[in-house]
Amino acid sequence: MSTDDRTWQKLAAAARAVRDERDLAAPYGFSTRVAALAMTAPVASPWALFEKFAIRGLIAASVFGVAAVAFGYGAWTGDHENDVASYDAVADVLDLT
Amino acid sequence: MADETFDVASCLDRVRARDQAAAKALVEHLYPLVIRIVRAHLPRRVAEEDLAQDIFLKMFTRLGQYQGNVPFPHWVSRIAVTTCIDQLRAQKRRPELRWADLSETEAEVLDNVLSDTRDEAPGDGLATRELVAKLLGQLKPEDRTVIQLLDLEQKSIAEISALTGWGQSMIKVRAFRARRKLQRLFQELQQKEKS
Repeated sequence: MSTDDRTWQKLAAAARAVRDERDLAAPYGFSTRVAALAMTAPVASPWALFEKFAIRGLIAASVFGVAAVAFGYGAWTGDHENDVASYDAVADVLDLT
Repeated sequence: MADETFDVASCLDRVRARDQAAAKALVEHLYPLVIRIVRAHLPRRVAEEDLAQDIFLKMFTRLGQYQGNVPFPHWVSRIAVTTCIDQLRAQKRRPELRWADLSETEAEVLDNVLSDTRDEAPGDGLATRELVAKLLGQLKPEDRTVIQLLDLEQKSIAEISALTGWGQSMIKVRAFRARRKLQRLFQELQQKEKS
């Protein structure tokens, strides 16, 4: 055991030896207040957790939806000038258009 | 001390049936257990009564999850310890401890213990307890909880594991880390005192 660890162990032993004289009974009115708060609170249903996450999920999905529409706006409006997939090189060479 | 004749099982049945008098009796029965844990792990500037109330409200909210696998007081102790750790975590800042922050008697106790190599009590008991609380306040919440339970409440690693839900090796690592941090603190305090 190092000196510093012995220092801590001595302090801990001395702190353990001190008796806690503080009262352990609940303060006046505490249990009545807590019981009233607990019994008047709505009972949590098994669906409560699901509902909580469902609302968050809905918000996240909405944000993603709006972002997807905003970033893909060009494609929606038919701006296909740079659309490589729709470019027909053969028709261009033969001047068929 | 809690009343040994108190019938927890029947009281719980009544609480589940929303009996307010039973809820009150349960709080009164468990208060000594909860307040001991709160006082041992109380973060700075948090009123013990407020923290005890949070613990009891959590207990009532989670009552449906209690399966009866462990005695009810053990189950409540675990809620109390984890709630205290959450409160400690919420206090992100841990101000640095300086020699000047110690009261005259605390400084005397620390001086005694640092300079004296014999295994004698360092002096004033209350000042020692305050000093220990200040030193523990320098540790990370999880490390502080482990060292409090291990060195001050003298609980076994298995008991701490049951209380916190942490694995035994994790607890040993946290205890090692906490003691190393305490050693560093003693060295720093000694250097600051000399300078």
